[in-house]
Amino acid sequence: MPSSVFYRSFDRHNRGEGVNAHSTTYCPGCGHGLVQKYLAQAIDELGTQDRTVLISPVGCSVFMYYYFDVGNSQAAHGRAPAVAIGHKTANPGSIVIAYQGDGDLASIGLAEIVSTAQLGIPITVIFVNNAIYGMTGGQMAPTTLLGQHTTTTVEGRGLFAGRPLRMAEMIAGLDGSVYVERVALYDNRRRVHAKRAIKKALGLQVNGKGFAFIEVLSECPVHLGLDPEAAEDWVRDNMVPVFPLGVKKDITDGPNYPPIPSPRFDPDETLQAIGAGTTREARFAHGFAEHLDPEDISLKLAGAGGDGAQTAAMVIARAAINEGFDSTLIPSYGPESRGGTSYADVHVAKHQVLSPAAPRPHVLVAFNAPSLARFGPTVRTGGIVLYDSTVVHAVPSALAAGAIPVPVPLTGAAKDLGTPLVKNVVALGALQAVSKLLPEESFLTALRALLRDKPAMVPVNEEAFRLGAKLALEEH
Amino acid sequence: MTSSLTERPKPFLVPEYCKGCGRCIRSCVKDCFTLGAQINPETGLVPISLDLTNCNSCGLCIDACPEPYGLRLAGEGDEAAERPGHALELVAAPGGIPEPEPWPDQTVALPDRQPLFIKGTYAAALGALLAGCRHVFGYPITPSTEGAELMARVLPTLGGIFLQAVSEVATVNIMYGAGGAGKPCMTFTSSPGFSLMLEGISYMIGSEIPAVFVNVMRGGPGLGNIGPEQSDIKLACRGLGHGNTHAIVLAPASPQEMLDLTMLAFELAFKYRNPVVVLGDGYLGQMTGKVQLPKYMVVPGIPRWAVYGDRSHRGNLICSVELDPELLESHNFRLNEKYEQITSAEQRAELFWCNDADILLLACNTPSQIAKGAVKELRERGHRVGLLRPITLWPFPLDRFRGPLHRAKELVVVEASSGQLEDELRLALSHAGTPTPPRVTHVRRMGGILPSQSEIVDHVAKLEVVP
Ligand code: SF4
Ligand code: SF4
Ligand code: SF4
Repeated sequence: MPSSVFYRSFDRHNRGEGVNAHSTTYCPGCGHGLVQKYLAQAIDELGTQDRTVLISPVGCSVFMYYYFDVGNSQAAHGRAPAVAIGHKTANPGSIVIAYQGDGDLASIGLAEIVSTAQLGIPITVIFVNNAIYGMTGGQMAPTTLLGQHTTTTVEGRGLFAGRPLRMAEMIAGLDGSVYVERVALYDNRRRVHAKRAIKKALGLQVNGKGFAFIEVLSECPVHLGLDPEAAEDWVRDNMVPVFPLGVKKDITDGPNYPPIPSPRFDPDETLQAIGAGTTREARFAHGFAEHLDPEDISLKLAGAGGDGAQTAAMVIARAAINEGFDSTLIPSYGPESRGGTSYADVHVAKHQVLSPAAPRPHVLVAFNAPSLARFGPTVRTGGIVLYDSTVVHAVPSALAAGAIPVPVPLTGAAKDLGTPLVKNVVALGALQAVSKLLPEESFLTALRALLRDKPAMVPVNEEAFRLGAKLALEEH
Repeated sequence: MTSSLTERPKPFLVPEYCKGCGRCIRSCVKDCFTLGAQINPETGLVPISLDLTNCNSCGLCIDACPEPYGLRLAGEGDEAAERPGHALELVAAPGGIPEPEPWPDQTVALPDRQPLFIKGTYAAALGALLAGCRHVFGYPITPSTEGAELMARVLPTLGGIFLQAVSEVATVNIMYGAGGAGKPCMTFTSSPGFSLMLEGISYMIGSEIPAVFVNVMRGGPGLGNIGPEQSDIKLACRGLGHGNTHAIVLAPASPQEMLDLTMLAFELAFKYRNPVVVLGDGYLGQMTGKVQLPKYMVVPGIPRWAVYGDRSHRGNLICSVELDPELLESHNFRLNEKYEQITSAEQRAELFWCNDADILLLACNTPSQIAKGAVKELRERGHRVGLLRPITLWPFPLDRFRGPLHRAKELVVVEASSGQLEDELRLALSHAGTPTPPRVTHVRRMGGILPSQSEIVDHVAKLEVVP
């Protein structure tokens, strides 16, 4: 019975001209034709034709889409299981079959088949093992037997070319597979078995069970140099001893594979998921801090890791954005972030930040002496150099001409508050007080927003901010 | 049992479709098959001969025959044997091949929100989510990983899927499947990972599968480092795997554009049924900036051509194989027409202070932001400098640049690579046959270092522009 899952006419096969419309590309007696007949029949009997997506491999069965009247996708060499994952996750209701030969699955595609089987996603893999490369003309396959002659093992496969790879056993050993069986096609009994196994493997997917794998020992009469009957015997006598038939794993009474989710597109849910706030924060600024720069103010915050330069930079940038300005922040980048130094470049621009780097900052906040020594000279004329006077005792002479030094005992003040960690917030308070970059409330609002998950920390942070402002103003 | 067997139909042999392999001979215990003697002139094969005298309708021979139409039960589809000629429409079993039903995208308005302050990689991830992408696949690689991490966190709350693949090779092939099924899908990667994906991208272009690749470029060659470089312009514009391939390449310069252009990338990918590459640099990936959300989000449908795995799309095929050279050539012609259409319709660029410029800078990604700073500084010093910023690197937006290029005397290419952007420019100028292009010089850094504003300013200040 030609299953209705085969096209009535193979019009993709040489445009369906002449006998092409009804015959396969396979050599006489090739096992592929049998496996595909059983597969078509299983699809038909399970009633899944409309839902089926068949992944054709590279190799002799590359053109399965000539024959199967189902959704068809043709994969790159070895990648059928990956393509299958894509189809299955895109539509969990689809029934996805990856059909692969031995070069495809057991050589170039090993990483894909092993990882997919371990993943256990419910797809069905049909692995046709005929111990040789068919399409490329009879080269050694990973499943070629020891002593077997191929065009790349002319003296017979020796140990130097490795031993034949037993895929069914390997796949059975992986956690994700629920059903693994090796079958053959060399006589009526094996064929009935093979047919049953293929249908079972497909049925498991229909029931959402898990990853199923059927290895079929198949005949390639052409490259074995045998007539089809002798090829059947060869599989029985030579392949079966190396690749024993039978069920390698059956845990189909276990739990189903977890349901694959279905995408949702609710706008509110989406906005919430991406963390988009609902309301605009209040604004406090009455204009851009043009006394610092008419359009674009750059700041550099520098210290050691743990000084909190990044967090302080984040508060400045968020405050600026809440006020409707543009802002950018670039953290220290590359190996230096591991070397203990941590610095951040921040821009606050009236309209748009141009270059996000701060090679010549308007404001430098230095948490230690090396940072002050390194970046102090880069501050522009009239700029502010705020530094921790608890740890820096002498202002370097190289400080840019015209820059205003603002020593504030950041570490000392934070210690006095009993929370050394708020050193950076002391710095922010001082920065606000001397620069008037943004109003005090802008900073405090951004600070509170950042501490949303730690409300207990708000009072000490606010106190630190105010203390910083006070100390800076005393200094001035 | 015997009676039910005898009620079953007997086998029916169509000699034209029999390859004479003889596998049926041994399967029949009643010896109904014998080797044939007459060559079929059309196939050059010798069909088997069947004598049903002793046949008990056991059906075993049918399961032994590799040919779908060679040997089958009598009565089923016999007329297929009579089917004349051919037509390039697949003929299905009774019921026919279904016509894909329209399943269009929808857009949903979003309320006005407070701008976000996020990293470039995050912004790209949000752009993808708002474009309707719920399928993200990837392999961790610095400095692109944070986008994937955000997706891994957010997607499960939206019924989406993030799957960490075994490699970049697997990633691109999973995307081949999900994209082939008609779903918007994407990945985050960085230069070495992008190299590994190129083969798969070639297959996607050949099979006309949409997908978005966000490549946060880093220093190379080889393992290089994780600093910012514009090291993959050549690959994205000229080297998308084997064959005659092209894809739109978008070059964002800010976190805002990481969002906007990633959203646009999905639109273009589906519009043209082709992958789209969003090329960022490591600096942009790490940079935090102000990001305004768009006014709408997309609820994707399923395109007519997709292999979705339902009745409506059953007749579809995703495939890049074509053995017939003439047909493969015409497929290439069709792809080329698509590339030409893209080239004329999708050139995007920003012109910054170009109106009266004698000296033009050309830069994209973060170097273009630095170049903007340089333009401003140089303007303050009285130089008439402007910036050409390609937003599409392929197609190179030469049409947008013609006016300023005509006027300018000097063109300075600013890039974090050894001339990959300059090559795109020179190729575009050469194809266009631009008569007297300005003199081209450059400011280049590599190895994870971006050109600095002062390097650009110094370079330009040294140019002698003849008024
Ligand atoms: S080469 Fe071998 S596997 Fe390929 S079609 Fe011919 S017989 Fe079958
Ligand atoms: S149906 Fe059975 S008895 Fe009849 S030809 Fe086929 S194998 Fe022989
Ligand atoms: S098995 Fe099929 S193809 Fe082979 S000889 Fe018999 S009828 Fe012909």
